[in-house]
Amino acid sequence: MTLAADDRRLNDLPRAEQTAVERRDRMFGWLIASPSLGLLFLVILFPVFWALYTSVHDYTLIAPNFDTFNGIDNYTKALGDPEFRHTLWLTAFFVAAVVLLEFALGFLVALMLNSVERFKAIYYAILLCPLLMNPVIVGLIWRMFLHPSLGIVNYLLSLVGIDPVNWLGSTKVALWTIVMVDIWHQVSFMIVLLLAGLSALPREPYEAARVDGASALRSFWHITVPLMLPVIAVTLLIRLIFAVKTYDLVYIMTRGGPGVATDLVSYFIYRTAFVGLNIGEASAMSAILLAVIMGLTVWLHRYMRSLT
Amino acid sequence: MASISLSNVHKFYPNGYAAVRDVSLDIKDGEFMILLGPSGCGKSTTLRMIAGLETISKGDLHIGGARMNDIDPADRDVAIVFQNYALYPHMTVIDNLSFGLRLRGVGRAVIDQRVANIADMLGIGELLSRKPAQLSGGQRQRVALGRALVREPKAFLLDEPLSNLDAKLRSAMRTELIKLHRTLGTTIVHVTHDQVEAMTMGERICIMKDGVIVQVGAPMEVYRNPVNTFVAGFLASPPMNLLRSRLSAQSLSLGDTVLALPPALGQAFAAHAEREVIAGMRPEDFHLKADAAASTAPVKVHAVTTEVLGPEVILVATVSGEQGAEIHIRCPRDFRAKPGEIVIFHYDVSQLQLFDPETTYALKRPVQI
Repeated sequence: MTLAADDRRLNDLPRAEQTAVERRDRMFGWLIASPSLGLLFLVILFPVFWALYTSVHDYTLIAPNFDTFNGIDNYTKALGDPEFRHTLWLTAFFVAAVVLLEFALGFLVALMLNSVERFKAIYYAILLCPLLMNPVIVGLIWRMFLHPSLGIVNYLLSLVGIDPVNWLGSTKVALWTIVMVDIWHQVSFMIVLLLAGLSALPREPYEAARVDGASALRSFWHITVPLMLPVIAVTLLIRLIFAVKTYDLVYIMTRGGPGVATDLVSYFIYRTAFVGLNIGEASAMSAILLAVIMGLTVWLHRYMRSLT
Repeated sequence: MASISLSNVHKFYPNGYAAVRDVSLDIKDGEFMILLGPSGCGKSTTLRMIAGLETISKGDLHIGGARMNDIDPADRDVAIVFQNYALYPHMTVIDNLSFGLRLRGVGRAVIDQRVANIADMLGIGELLSRKPAQLSGGQRQRVALGRALVREPKAFLLDEPLSNLDAKLRSAMRTELIKLHRTLGTTIVHVTHDQVEAMTMGERICIMKDGVIVQVGAPMEVYRNPVNTFVAGFLASPPMNLLRSRLSAQSLSLGDTVLALPPALGQAFAAHAEREVIAGMRPEDFHLKADAAASTAPVKVHAVTTEVLGPEVILVATVSGEQGAEIHIRCPRDFRAKPGEIVIFHYDVSQLQLFDPETTYALKRPVQI
């Protein structure tokens, strides 16, 4: 806080009033920040602007040039495409299911782990295992586990007399299967973040509440939840953004199928670009997705801040 | 209102550490009791056991005559004020005050009435819609106090509530707490490591060390007759001077300084004659002039330094030569002495305390002269 204030004061000074030492410090600051700033520009800003530029041109892999400017044509075409709209809704459903279920499960496990005293490190290590795996590997493992006739899951179910389920081949089940695998893979992320938040909570208000007469449930509702809101907001935000981008699991496990049952928007954009070869329209879709995610982020951030 | 009684209370931690050992203490209904001791002496643990925030490993706790060992903190009808206030950070002041009442299902009208009364009493009426982060230390302290008061409990448990305040505010809050106790007449157990708080606020002081009670008594009683060198050295600032010395039939030798003892005192300590003792001498019992009425004996000291405090001067000096033991002497405000200067004081021998160097406990002495 003070540092920021100092900085502001420094910036407010007219150039002439800055001492040579201050000027040298600022130069040095820029100097050591410049490599990372340059890298950020190269790998983030440049591609974003390139994509936006591409999205207003008729740019395909058959004719990869910016000769034809077509304004918002790519955008109207994308939004008018029922298949694109389907993938948007499907993604919205997937994100809601994944984020809410992972949050509920993650918070529950975090609360339990927070009260555990022995073997905490071991639980941590076990929980972190899935998170350390590459999504492609997670997809491959689960595709084998869930194989309708050779997979271990159906075998185990058969032992208790349940008929085999076509996990990835049925339009009714496939999306939920992806949701389940994503939860298996990503729930630890929620747990770790929420647990860090929980263990940083002050202990005293709980003791005050105990003497005030609060039961465990009421302490949770009146103290834990309100105090955790900032952490919850950040956790939900990060998971939400990552869930919207889900691509690898779908690519490995279903290729968007059966039919279009698991055709999430990232995968659809990929297909438009590299199967349909229409880079211009795929860029427009990416821009729309970017706008949606940014809108969601701003909304969630504001909403959570209004609660605290 | 209620009395609080601890009988042979112990607190053991899972690692075997005994934080509190065999504490027995009867706190009378409406009494202002101070638990005093250095950090780690078990005073806060004792308070937390009374509140129910720590389990009692052994022994019994009774509040208002009823055994409370296994009663939930919420049902003991006591309120606690924590050192760092422990306000609910996300709630406004009014919610902080009313939370306990709402949990107990008290009606809206009653809550509003009580909160208004307390806010008025503590002068926090204007802060009701603020959150703890927007309050100063003193204001938070008042809110924490208000949260305890508003419940109208049988007893207040205060865990070093003044230690986070600056000196001026602390002194003001001391007075307010005393007044509050007078108005409400509720039992108060106040934990502190500050001997000034203990002396000024308590009706009785319970001094603890290493998990056991060392001495219980009214402030002046504990001050006049410390049961051992720990209590002698803990109370008052500067504390009692403790000097190794030798006791003879009619005199006490501090190195080459010999204090003649009045016959009555000599007789009282006759059983301990011809042995090493620790002499306890309060800094205010040294006078510049001999007093005919009191039995004073001259003591020659070498000045080391003076601390000019304003209303008084504390002289740090050595007895029996410049290499002798250091003592503190309370002097009038215009007293000055140069380093190395020799000053003769007249010690009021009737106030002398003697302690056993091995056990550190006080030797038997006659009733206060």
